[in-house]
Amino acid sequence: MSEYVLELKGITKIFPGVKALNNVQFQLKPGEVHALMGENGAGKSTFIKVITGVHKAEEGEMFLNGQKVDFKGPKDAQAAGIAAVYQHPTSYPHLTVAENIFMGHEIIKNRMIQWKAMNTEANKLLAQLDADFDATAEMGTLSVAQQQMVEIAKAMSTNAKIIILDEPTAALTRSESEKLYTLVDKLKEEGVSIIFISHRFEDMYRLASRVTVFRDSQYIGTYDVNGITNADLIKAMVGREITDLFPKPEVKLGEEMLRVEKLSRVGYFKDVSFGVRAGEILGLTGLVGAGRTEVVEAVCGITRPDSGKVYLEGKEAHIKQPSDAMEKGIILLPEDRQKEGLIMSWGLGRNVTLPTISKYAKNGLNDEKTERDLAKKLLEEVDTKAVDIFQPASSLSGGNQQKVVVAKALSQEMKVVIMDEPTKGVDVGAKAEIYAIMGDLAKKGYAIILISSEMPEILGMADRIVVMCNGRKTGELGREEATQERILELAMEKSSGKGASK
Amino acid sequence: MEKKSLIKRLTGSREALLAVVLLVLFVLVTIVNPAFLTPKSLMDMLKNNAVTMVMALGMLCVMLVGGIDISIMSTLALSGMSIGMLLKNDVIASTPLAFLIAVAIGIVCGLAVGLVISRADVPPIIATMGFMYVFRAMGYLVSNGGQWAGAAALGNFKNFATTKFLGINCVIWVVILCYAFFFWFMKWTRTGRMIYAVGSNPSAAQVSGINVKNIKLLVYVIMGLLSGLGGALQVSVYASAMPDMQYGGEMDVIAACVIGGVSMSGGRGSVLGALLGSLILATIAKALPLIPFFDQLWLNTIKGVIILVVVVMNVVLQRVADKNALRGREM
Amino acid sequence: MAGKSGRSINNVPESSIKRMIFSWEGILVLIFIAVNIFCAVFSEFYNVSSLLRQMPVYLAEVFLMLPMAYILVLGEIDISVGSIVCLSATMSCIVCNMNAPFIVVVFTGLAVGTVCGAINGFILTKFTELPPMIVTLATQIIFRGIAEIILGSGGSITMSNLDGFNAIGGKVGKVPYILFLVLILAVIFALVLGKSTFGRRVYAIGTNRLTAYYSGVHVQKIRMIIYTVMGTVSGLCAIFLLSSSFGANTTTGNGFEMDAIAMAVFGGISSTGGKGNIAGGVLAAFIIVCLRVGLGQQNVHAQVILLIIGVLLIAAVALPNIIGQVRRAVKTK
Repeated sequence: MSEYVLELKGITKIFPGVKALNNVQFQLKPGEVHALMGENGAGKSTFIKVITGVHKAEEGEMFLNGQKVDFKGPKDAQAAGIAAVYQHPTSYPHLTVAENIFMGHEIIKNRMIQWKAMNTEANKLLAQLDADFDATAEMGTLSVAQQQMVEIAKAMSTNAKIIILDEPTAALTRSESEKLYTLVDKLKEEGVSIIFISHRFEDMYRLASRVTVFRDSQYIGTYDVNGITNADLIKAMVGREITDLFPKPEVKLGEEMLRVEKLSRVGYFKDVSFGVRAGEILGLTGLVGAGRTEVVEAVCGITRPDSGKVYLEGKEAHIKQPSDAMEKGIILLPEDRQKEGLIMSWGLGRNVTLPTISKYAKNGLNDEKTERDLAKKLLEEVDTKAVDIFQPASSLSGGNQQKVVVAKALSQEMKVVIMDEPTKGVDVGAKAEIYAIMGDLAKKGYAIILISSEMPEILGMADRIVVMCNGRKTGELGREEATQERILELAMEKSSGKGASK
Repeated sequence: MEKKSLIKRLTGSREALLAVVLLVLFVLVTIVNPAFLTPKSLMDMLKNNAVTMVMALGMLCVMLVGGIDISIMSTLALSGMSIGMLLKNDVIASTPLAFLIAVAIGIVCGLAVGLVISRADVPPIIATMGFMYVFRAMGYLVSNGGQWAGAAALGNFKNFATTKFLGINCVIWVVILCYAFFFWFMKWTRTGRMIYAVGSNPSAAQVSGINVKNIKLLVYVIMGLLSGLGGALQVSVYASAMPDMQYGGEMDVIAACVIGGVSMSGGRGSVLGALLGSLILATIAKALPLIPFFDQLWLNTIKGVIILVVVVMNVVLQRVADKNALRGREM
Repeated sequence: MAGKSGRSINNVPESSIKRMIFSWEGILVLIFIAVNIFCAVFSEFYNVSSLLRQMPVYLAEVFLMLPMAYILVLGEIDISVGSIVCLSATMSCIVCNMNAPFIVVVFTGLAVGTVCGAINGFILTKFTELPPMIVTLATQIIFRGIAEIILGSGGSITMSNLDGFNAIGGKVGKVPYILFLVLILAVIFALVLGKSTFGRRVYAIGTNRLTAYYSGVHVQKIRMIIYTVMGTVSGLCAIFLLSSSFGANTTTGNGFEMDAIAMAVFGGISSTGGKGNIAGGVLAAFIIVCLRVGLGQQNVHAQVILLIIGVLLIAAVALPNIIGQVRRAVKTK
C-alpha cells in the first residue's frame, strides 16, 4: 500500500488560449480531510474535474493507492470510488430523491427497477445524514442545502472512498453548515478521504488537517493547518502584499448620487437602505445568497421591488425596466458575463454599443461608421487586449471580457455604475487593471457600487462597506473601521439566534 | 385536517386534478344526455380515438426529452397507405402481416427522423416539418397518385376493427396493451427512467454516463413505431386508406399531451397524464354533438380554448406557488 | 483614462465581397440559377412571361415568410398564421358580400389579422414562461375554429363582388402588382432587420435574451410588435389569396405556417434564433416559387413538389452541421 490514496503529479490542462493548470501536484492521505484553497480562477475547479474524469489532462500522472490510473470519463472515476459534490447540484429536478441518489446504479431485479428497495435504501442513507425529507420527494422542490445532502447521499451510495466537496457551505446557513461538519466527521470516521474546497477559513480550521494552495493555475504548497497563520495563508493565495494590488485613489467625495430607502422584495431582501456619493466606491458584501445582487437588480429595474424608494440626485426615480435605469444614468454590470453581460457570439464592437445604438442612429437606421469609431475608442480606453472590434467576445479571456462589459457602461453618460463581482474568474494581472479602471471612474466623479465576496477586494477598494446577511443590511463600516473579522461577523449575524423568529 | 390534506393532494398531483375534471365532464354530459354513458357509446369513443391515444404515448416520450414531432401523421399516412395498397393489390392478405409491415415502415420513418435530430443536430421542429412533407408525399406516391383503398379492397383486414375479444373490441385491446406496456416501461425499466433523466437535465445525464444521443434516437423510433401502428389502426377503424388521412391530426396528439401535463421543455409528464389528456379531448369531441346549442362546429374552438386555459393556469399556479415559497423564507 | 499600453484595435471591416460569395446566400443564388435552368429544360413552357403569369398564386405565401423570419430570429415560432389567414379571408368575404366598399374589405382583412396577431403577442408577453409553440398551437386551433363557426355547416363562402379583387390581381405590363408589393415589402423588412436599431435588437434578443434585457432592450415590447405585424401580414396574405381564389373555406391557409417557416429556414434563418437574414429568405422563397411553377407546368403533383421542399429543408440544416462535425473530427485526429 502506498502512503497516499490519491496522488497527482505534474498535471497540466490547457484550454484554448489558457493554461488552466500548470504542472500541479496533490497528495491525499487515507482518511484525511484535505482543504484545497485558492482564489477564484486559481484552477481548483478544473483540477477537480481532472480527478473526476470530466476533463482529461494534457500532461501528468494520477495514482490511486499507488496504482497509475487513466480515466477515460466520469464513469471510470465513479467506478474507482471517487465521487464529487458540486457547488451547484447537478441533479434531475423532476425526479425523486431516491432516483437522483441511484441514477446510473439503480437497484434492478429481473430488469425491473426495485422502487421499494431503492426508497428504503435511500431513506437509510438520508437517516444517516439526519435529513428532514423523504426519498420520494421531488428533487426540484428541495432547498439547495437539502439537494446538497442528496448529492452527498449519492456519493455514499456508490461506496466512494474519496469524496470531493466543492464549496459545499457557500449556500448554507450557519446551522446547516454545522450539520455538514458533523457529516464530514462521520464520513472521516468511516475511512473516507475528503477533498474540501472552500473560501471560508472557518471551514478549513474546523475540518481540515492539511491544506493545499493553488494560485494562477500553479501549485504553491501544502501546509499543516495547525502550522500556518491566517496571514501566511492569504499571502500564499494572493501572492503579493494586498496593498499594491489596489491603487485606490484619494477622491474628494461629491453630492449623494443614489439613495435607496427601505427597499424590499418578498423572499429576497427586506428594508435595505444605503446611499452612494459621486466619486465614492461603496462596497456591498455578504455571503453568497445574502441578497446583494437581488437588491441592485431591483434598483436597476431588472426585477420590481415590492416596496421602498430609489432616489437619484435627491429626486425619486421611478424605474420599471433596465432601460429606464440607463436613461437616468444607472447601469448594472452583471456578475454572469456569459449569460447576462455579453453576447458571446457577437463582435466586441456590437457588444459595446448595444445599450446605446439608438443614440447615434439616423432615422432609425444604424450609423455603423460612428458605431465602429466609438467602439474602438472605448475598447482602447479600457485597454482591451483584442485585435479588432469584430472578433467574437468568446475569444477573449475573462478579464478582457470584463473590460468589454465596462466599456458598455462608458458608451453613455452614466452617474452610477454598479459592478457585480467584476473580478470573478479573472486572473490576477487583469484584476489589477480592472481595479485601476474602477479608480479612474471614481476620479471622474462616477458613483460606484462594488459587489464582491472577496474580502481583500472590498477592503482594498471601498470607501464604505455595506454588509448584508440573509436579505437584510446588517451593518455599514467606514474604510478605517473595516476589518476582515468585523465584516465576517456582520455577514454571519443570522446564526446568532434571532433568525428563527417568524 | 383530513379534508385539507385531500385538497392538497389533489392540487399537488396533476393527474388527480385531471381525473376530477374528466369525472365532472362525464357527469355533466350524462345529465344533459344520458345516452352518453352507455357501454356502446363509450366503446365507440375509445375506438374512434384509438389512434390519438396510442400516438400520445410516443409524443409523451418525445416531449419528455424536450423534443416535438409533427411528422407523425405523415408517417401514419405512409404506413397506412402502404398496407392499404398491398391489401388492395392482393400482395398480402393476412392481418398480422399487415400490422407488422405498417409498424416496420413506422420504425424506419422514426429512425430517419431520429438520426437527423440526434446526429445532425437539426432542431426537432424543423426536422419533423421536413419529414412531414416527405412522408406525406411518399404516402401519396404509394397510393399511385391519390387512389383510395376502399372497404372492398381491404378484405379481412377491416374486420379487425369490428371483431371482439372477451367482449371488447380488438382496437381497444391494442390501446389497453400499449398503455399497459408503457406504464411498465416508463416507470419500471432503466431505459424508461433514462428518458426522464435526459429530459430533466441533459448535461447531468451525460456526466452520469447516459448516451443522450441514443436516448433521443430511441424516442423518435418509438414515436415512429406507434405512428406505424396508428396507421394500421386508422385503416382498419375507418375501413379505408387514403393519402391525406389524419391531415393536421398531430396537433390533437400534442394537445392531448399538453392537457395531460406533459411539459414542452422536457422532464415532466406521465403515461397516466397522456391517457387522461387524450380521454378528456375524446370526451369533449364525443359529447359536443349531444349538447344542444353547441354543435360539432364549435369543437375546435373549445379544444383550443381548453389548451390555452390549461397552460395559462399552469403558469399562474406556478407563480402563486413560487410567491408562497418566497413568503415562507425566513429573513 | 487612456489605455496604458496604447494598444490600437482595428475597426475597419474587411471587404464584404469575399464573405458574400462564400455565404449561404451565395449558395442560394447558385441553387436559384440551377433551379431555373432545370425548369427550363424540364418544361418547354417555362419562360419569363409564363413565370410572371403563374407566379401570383404562390406569391401570397411569400408575404408570410417576411415577419416569420423575425420570429425565427427571435428564436421563436408562430404556427397560427395559416389559421389567421383563414379567419381574415373569411371575414373579408363576409364583409365583401355585404356590399361594403373594397377599401373596407381590405381593412377588415388587415384588422382581423392584426387583432389575431396581437392576441398571440399579448398572451406571450404576459406569460413569458409559455413556449410560443404551445400558445400558437392553441390559437391555431381557435382561430380556425372561429372561422369554422362563422362559415357554418357549408364550410365555405364565395364572394359576389369581385371588382376590387380583380383590380389588385392586375398587372403593370406583364408584371403582376403582387410581385411589386412582395419586393417592396421584402426591401422594407430587410432594411429594418439588417440595418435598423430595431433589427439589431431583434438579433440581440434572439442570441441572448438576458443580455439584451440587461442592456436595456425592451424585449417584451419588441416581441409584441413582431407578433402583431405577423398578424397584419397574414391579413394581407389573405386579401391577395382572395384575389385568386374568390372565396374562403375551412381549409384556406392550411399549412401556410409550415411553408413560411420552410422558406425562411431554407433561406438560412436558424430556428434557434439570432442567425440569418431576409435576403436568404427571399431567395429561398423564389427558388420554391420557380420550382412550383416549373414542375406545375408539367402537371407534377403538388405533393411531389412538397417532397422536394422537405428534402431541401432537411438537407439545408443538416448538411452544414454534418460537415462541421466531420471537420472537427478530422481536426482532432
